[in-house]
Amino acid sequence: MRRFIGQRPTARVWLSVALVTIVGGVAVGCGGGDSGGDSNEPIKIGISLPLTGDFSQPGTAAKQGYQVWADTVNGQGGLLGRKVELDIKDDASDQNTVVTDYNALISRDQVDLLLGTFSSLLNLPASAVAERNQMLYVEPAGGAPEMFDRGFQYLFFAQQATADHQGDLFVDYILGLPKNIRPKTAAYPSIDDPFAIPVIDSIREKFEAAGIKTVYKDIYPVSTSNFDSIANAVKSADPDLIAHGAVFDDGVGFIRALSKVGFQARYFFETSAPSGAAQFSNAVGIDNTEAIFYAVSHTPEAHTPGNQEFVAAFKKKFGGLPAEDAADAFATGQVLQKAVEEVGSIDDQAALADYLRNNEVDTILGPLEWDDNGAPQGQFLIGQWQNGKAEVILPKDAATTDHIINRRPGSK
Amino acid sequence: MTELIQTIAFGLLIGGVYALLASGLTLIFGVMNVINIAHGAFLILAAFLTFSLWSGFGLDPLAAIVITTPAMLGFGWLVYVFTVRPIRRAPPSSSVLLTFGIALVLEAAMGLIWGNESHAARPPYFTQSFHVSSIILPKAQVFACGLAVVVLACLWWFLARTWTGRAIRAAAVNPQGAELVGIDIVRVSALTFAIGVATVGAGGSLVSVLYPFLPGSHYIWIARVLGIIVLGGMGSLRGALIGALLLGLAETFTQTYVSAQWATAVPYAIIFVALLVRPQGIMGTRLREDVAT
Repeated sequence: MRRFIGQRPTARVWLSVALVTIVGGVAVGCGGGDSGGDSNEPIKIGISLPLTGDFSQPGTAAKQGYQVWADTVNGQGGLLGRKVELDIKDDASDQNTVVTDYNALISRDQVDLLLGTFSSLLNLPASAVAERNQMLYVEPAGGAPEMFDRGFQYLFFAQQATADHQGDLFVDYILGLPKNIRPKTAAYPSIDDPFAIPVIDSIREKFEAAGIKTVYKDIYPVSTSNFDSIANAVKSADPDLIAHGAVFDDGVGFIRALSKVGFQARYFFETSAPSGAAQFSNAVGIDNTEAIFYAVSHTPEAHTPGNQEFVAAFKKKFGGLPAEDAADAFATGQVLQKAVEEVGSIDDQAALADYLRNNEVDTILGPLEWDDNGAPQGQFLIGQWQNGKAEVILPKDAATTDHIINRRPGSK
Repeated sequence: MTELIQTIAFGLLIGGVYALLASGLTLIFGVMNVINIAHGAFLILAAFLTFSLWSGFGLDPLAAIVITTPAMLGFGWLVYVFTVRPIRRAPPSSSVLLTFGIALVLEAAMGLIWGNESHAARPPYFTQSFHVSSIILPKAQVFACGLAVVVLACLWWFLARTWTGRAIRAAAVNPQGAELVGIDIVRVSALTFAIGVATVGAGGSLVSVLYPFLPGSHYIWIARVLGIIVLGGMGSLRGALIGALLLGLAETFTQTYVSAQWATAVPYAIIFVALLVRPQGIMGTRLREDVAT
């Protein structure tokens, strides 16, 4: 034994190593080929979501929506006869991590299809990764106008309209009110978020053009947790209407702060947070929800194709009614499903994108259609909290009630 | 004038709570030279415990302090024994990595237990205020600030008036000397870490009433309290109090008189300028090795 120590490997040893390597490599290669090309293999769909960090609340809801969609598809026999398998990563609400995640999903995990993440903040860089890799990217919550200014060919937003049109129906409603109850002044606080700011800016521009005076306008950082001073500044400005650009926690914090400083504007509109169903009412208290307006893409009561089945499946799997973000994710899955089924293949992602650009797709949010840049061409619903319940009030044909409250309790 | 007094009142009320949150972090650093990045995660854990006590048993969130404080004391002790003690002789950078890891594990655990959803306790007074002339003092903030003052006073009394407290201070000032006079540095470190975590037990109960929170909220809080103790002087309790009040005032003054947009940047710009003038922080001590480097 000792005499072998320190001796150089012989040619026979090297040959053996080389043979083992070649044979092993061929075996692995064959295995890889089998798994990639077998039509009975599940279709792998890659998703990165903010399951932790600032956006973990909507991110978790979106994950639930995707899971219900995958269960539904698999229950119906799968996509093109193959089971759907979700590969979900957590981007921790971080723009760098979401890029790493989608790169890893494409190059390392070699997923067949992608679905989008939550928020414009994360979808902006994530959609660029998909575009670079020429993969279809349908996303449930990234409606900032700048998403669609880049001429991307594979990006589609699966809601009714972009952020700058979210408040259109609310503006029309307010401007259509009789003069004696129409607001004369308005305040516009907003979180520094690429989705919230365009909603509020668009509402402000239309109100200012109609003669409603702006008495307060400010943007606060995402890290803001203390809203007492902001609420007090709004109170000092004494507006008839507040349009608040919020995500979730800040929306809750601002409403609580307004109550603490003892001020309520006659009309209160807030983005995103009030569509959080029971999570919103639990956080602000049922009494504080009354008469709050918000734009929303989905309502559990809607009679859109598949909606009641979705709500029932969600209740069965997770309990309770689905939040808007869960419904948006489900609809995103429906859009992808329709494109794949109509094209009949997942190999040509450009063909999938072309299909969506040229066709309307029925979803639980209603029919969706897009322009050449993937921006949706419809209209949001307007909701209002009434007696502890979230109702849809506009448009009339989708309304769950014909009653609209025109004075927030505690306002002048 | 009313606006000025109102702004000062908001700033001091929130600064009082910040002081409690920062006290444990600076105590742990002062004695152990450990930068506890998990401090914010401990805070949110205590907030979740409070939320469960409030929603499950109807216990007032501020009264829950009598449960969350000892619970977090015990939890802090366990965390020290099983994770921090093994690296106590390693450089401070190791403690940063370790406690950051603890924060991530806690965040994931909280997400599994309570879900990644926003939570907020809603006792009857959560949207009510006291009115002094035209000045508004939100009840939750007043109660929280008052409790923070009580907890800080108890902490000061413990450190200044008890033998165990003196041992902790001795270990902070001169660990070798403390060991020479018979103080068990390992036990003192364990106790200090546990007390530091216990202060966020109380702080978490206060935060659960004041702000909505979710497992990921700890990033915001650790950034804020680290800024406070750097401003006040790492390891100085008095410095943490002064730093917290200054940060609270800077935030509210910026929101009221400059723009809410600058409410995060301005306080940190103040910290930056303060450190240029006084690198050791307001109440920090400059050591010989600091001067040499």
